[in-house]
Amino acid sequence: MERLNARLEIPEVEPGTLGACPVAPDALVDIKRQQTNPARWRGRGWKEFSDAVRALGVEMSETISARGAYATDAGGTAYGLPHGVVIARSAEQIAGLLKAAQAHRVPVTVRGGGLTTEGESVAFGGVLLDMTGMSRVISIDPAALSVRTQAGIFWHSLAEELRREGLDYLSAPLNLTSSVGGTLGVGGIDVNSPRLGCSADQALALQVVTPTGDIVECSDTQNPELFARVILGYGQFGVITEATLKVRPYTPLRMHYYYYSSLRTAIEDLQLIDRNDASDYSGILTILDCAVNLLVAFDSPEREAAFKAGWESRLRGHGEFGFGLRMLGRYALRPWKLGEAWLLLQRKRELFPELQRSEYMRDGLMLDRTVVFSRAVWNFWGGRQMVIPDLATSAAKFADAVERGNAVCRKYFPHYTLYCVGIRLRKDHREHYEMSCIPPDAEEWAYGCEFEPMTNGRTYSRDHLQSFKNAIYDIGVDVGASYYRFGGMMKGYIRRVFGDALVDRHLAMKKKADPAMILNRDVIF
Amino acid sequence: MFGRARSPVVRKDHSACSGCSLCLLVCPVWRQTRDPRLTPEGRAKALQHGAPARELAASVAACRLCGACEPVCPEDIDLVGMTLGLRAHLADPALVTALHGRMKEIASQPLRVLDAKIAFLPGPALREKPQVMARITALTGAVPSTDDGVDIEEALQSGIPIPRERLERFLGHLRAAQEVVVEDGQWMRPLREWLPKARLTSLGAALGNLDAVRRSLRKTDLYVIEPRAYHSDYERLVGHYDRLRTERGCAFNLDLQRIAIPPAAQADWILKGLRVERVVVERQEDAEAFVAHGAYPVVHLAELADH
Ligand SMILES: Cc1cc2nc3c(=O)[nH]c(=O)nc-3n(C[C@H](O)[C@H](O)[C@H](O)COP(=O)(O)OP(=O)(O)OC[C@H]3O[C@@H](n4cnc5c(N)ncnc54)[C@H](O)[C@@H]3O)c2cc1C
Ligand code: SF4
Ligand code: SF4
Repeated sequence: MERLNARLEIPEVEPGTLGACPVAPDALVDIKRQQTNPARWRGRGWKEFSDAVRALGVEMSETISARGAYATDAGGTAYGLPHGVVIARSAEQIAGLLKAAQAHRVPVTVRGGGLTTEGESVAFGGVLLDMTGMSRVISIDPAALSVRTQAGIFWHSLAEELRREGLDYLSAPLNLTSSVGGTLGVGGIDVNSPRLGCSADQALALQVVTPTGDIVECSDTQNPELFARVILGYGQFGVITEATLKVRPYTPLRMHYYYYSSLRTAIEDLQLIDRNDASDYSGILTILDCAVNLLVAFDSPEREAAFKAGWESRLRGHGEFGFGLRMLGRYALRPWKLGEAWLLLQRKRELFPELQRSEYMRDGLMLDRTVVFSRAVWNFWGGRQMVIPDLATSAAKFADAVERGNAVCRKYFPHYTLYCVGIRLRKDHREHYEMSCIPPDAEEWAYGCEFEPMTNGRTYSRDHLQSFKNAIYDIGVDVGASYYRFGGMMKGYIRRVFGDALVDRHLAMKKKADPAMILNRDVIF
Repeated sequence: MFGRARSPVVRKDHSACSGCSLCLLVCPVWRQTRDPRLTPEGRAKALQHGAPARELAASVAACRLCGACEPVCPEDIDLVGMTLGLRAHLADPALVTALHGRMKEIASQPLRVLDAKIAFLPGPALREKPQVMARITALTGAVPSTDDGVDIEEALQSGIPIPRERLERFLGHLRAAQEVVVEDGQWMRPLREWLPKARLTSLGAALGNLDAVRRSLRKTDLYVIEPRAYHSDYERLVGHYDRLRTERGCAFNLDLQRIAIPPAAQADWILKGLRVERVVVERQEDAEAFVAHGAYPVVHLAELADH
């Protein structure tokens, strides 16, 4: 029995390497099993480290109430407890913390909103550094259309401040509680990303605390190598403490919805719109396989009118009324599918009013898109387990990849939603994209699709959820895609997708920048 | 099946917290401290992981019971109830004894039933404004209570149980009322339970429904909603204030989620970026923050009909 336990224990491995999987090393022929759940850091030298940190005047909490609050992330499938929690207060405080962590080889996991879904922002021992303690806007420059902010700020809090000046951020996740720093490190996709790019591309400059505790300013012109590594770098090369971001004048939105019975047709029309810059916002949200919603929106009446005159008639989707008639015809001919019709009606009755609540609308315009969509996301899809695997591909591969992903969803869950959106790429940021969520073969646009099961209160086993995610991620390996969510339990995928040579090159850079491999060390390496 | 219906009866507890952090965004304690431990999410998550109540004492004490966290919580967790439960657990025995002593003394005084169809429960700050009190009665027909229940309010805030005889005296004096108008929305929650047949109205809604008051609201007014009543009846009142905005064009102390920002220590933030000429408050206590700010005249909603 003792021998069996010893065999099943997750082995501690050298940071940056993957151990053998202790569960069933030879279960699958020809597929090398790898340990992807990190072993808990055992706490070697914790006492000396915590004394050193406290001597610097850094407050570190070791109570169960402080540590327990960070036991998991939005994904709710990876659990781990830090030994201590530090609430970020200043770059200097973080510099001291990281220097001590290097000296004592104590892992530090950085957390913003904690909206990762694969355990990337969960600490398996060591220190949990909560960046939301640094969430004040430092200055807004309306003339230069830029803002300098502490990086732990939630996008929504930033929006609240900017709105007082009649301004808005460019693009941010549609969820209110992701942080600026957490997003710049992973991507940030909005329904205006087909035009304005991902959130990470709107950063003009950053203040970063490197893993060895230096406070460095970086941008495309100042320390550009560091800038390129920190942007979309999964928190490997430094803690982002401040960010200068581009902003824009605030505008309410003119929304239009088109309905399709074919996912592929909707994707083709989405890409047609994006290629021709026909709208300011675009994205796809599926309701059922046979009811796909293409969302199109505009910042100005002029852009809306140009779309109506030049592009609307070329779309193959229908308005709500026209689509309703088609559905009526469909179910009249297929009475055995009435259950599906009922579900469709129910979704329309519950979700649509949420998207048009009068307090968020004025004269037919949507005032706060992120509030509206975020409320809907958490109310209809939220819960203690958020399972949202994704794929990011080039424009050409997208429709195939999404159709395959949709088939996987159908196999695993009775109800699910797909959310697809384009991401405009910046030619001058190619270096930022290396080994990131932006697939290497994407030109001009990349496309992302999230696959979101609707569990409707049902509990699924962790194995079921993990198999589902793996089936989606396997499509990525097969077609040569990338993912938005690396890390935690799926870090094994990074080598399969990018190959050993590239990963080893980044690992060498990481080891140079972070000799003791303390910073976010279980996320991708 | 698709969404989760909100049930007014069965509300969830801390175990349902998904960690979405939406409650942080609206919590005034979070806004001031940026300390996640002092927020409803911090408490719910800590409880999920077995934290003992005593470790949450500072967090529990920091809560202002403004109720802003409840309407935004997608899991519909009884967050104010959770905090009050913890306060009950942590209540200082000396405080409980002293308060119970006071309550028993009040309970022993003779009961005077309020002879009015509409009763009005004002707060102490409003009691000090007899002209405003008189205007409220003249406009709404609501008669001020003869027992303001200040001790009961204190017990409610501290999570201290209320002796039966004290509660009976308080409720007994409201026996004849078909409607109770409250200045402090904190009363909404317990009165809903104690007086299930009575109509409960916040002072803001009672006055705001009157033409004479509505007509006097200007585009250049900042209208300060009393947060507790608003949040305790959010789904209905969000429409009420939205109609008021459409009709009168005034600004409100609402954030982008349409949650009311409590004025205490946040007057600067509420006023930031607004072009207003006058501040109109529903609750007299909220006037203090704007009077201290000093930039604009502050009037009570009831006084508007005179302007
Ligand atoms: C319900 C839901 C909806 C979502 N919707 C969208 C969407 O519409 N669009 C989209 O793009 N994404 C979306 N996401 C994904 C999520 O928003 C992103 O992963 C997000 O950007 C993460 O931000 P965060 O602050 O929560 O980061 P965290 O989850 O806290 O951290 C992300 C990673 O960055 C690291 N990190 C955090 N802060 C810093 C810092 N300051 N410096 C260095 N490293 C740091 C962490 O260690 C971690 O590895 C959604 C997620 C959920 C759960
Ligand atoms: S009631 Fe108000 S102060 Fe208390 S936790 Fe909720 S939002 Fe914060
Ligand atoms: S809003 Fe509700 S579910 Fe979300 S973090 Fe707060 S308490 Fe938890």
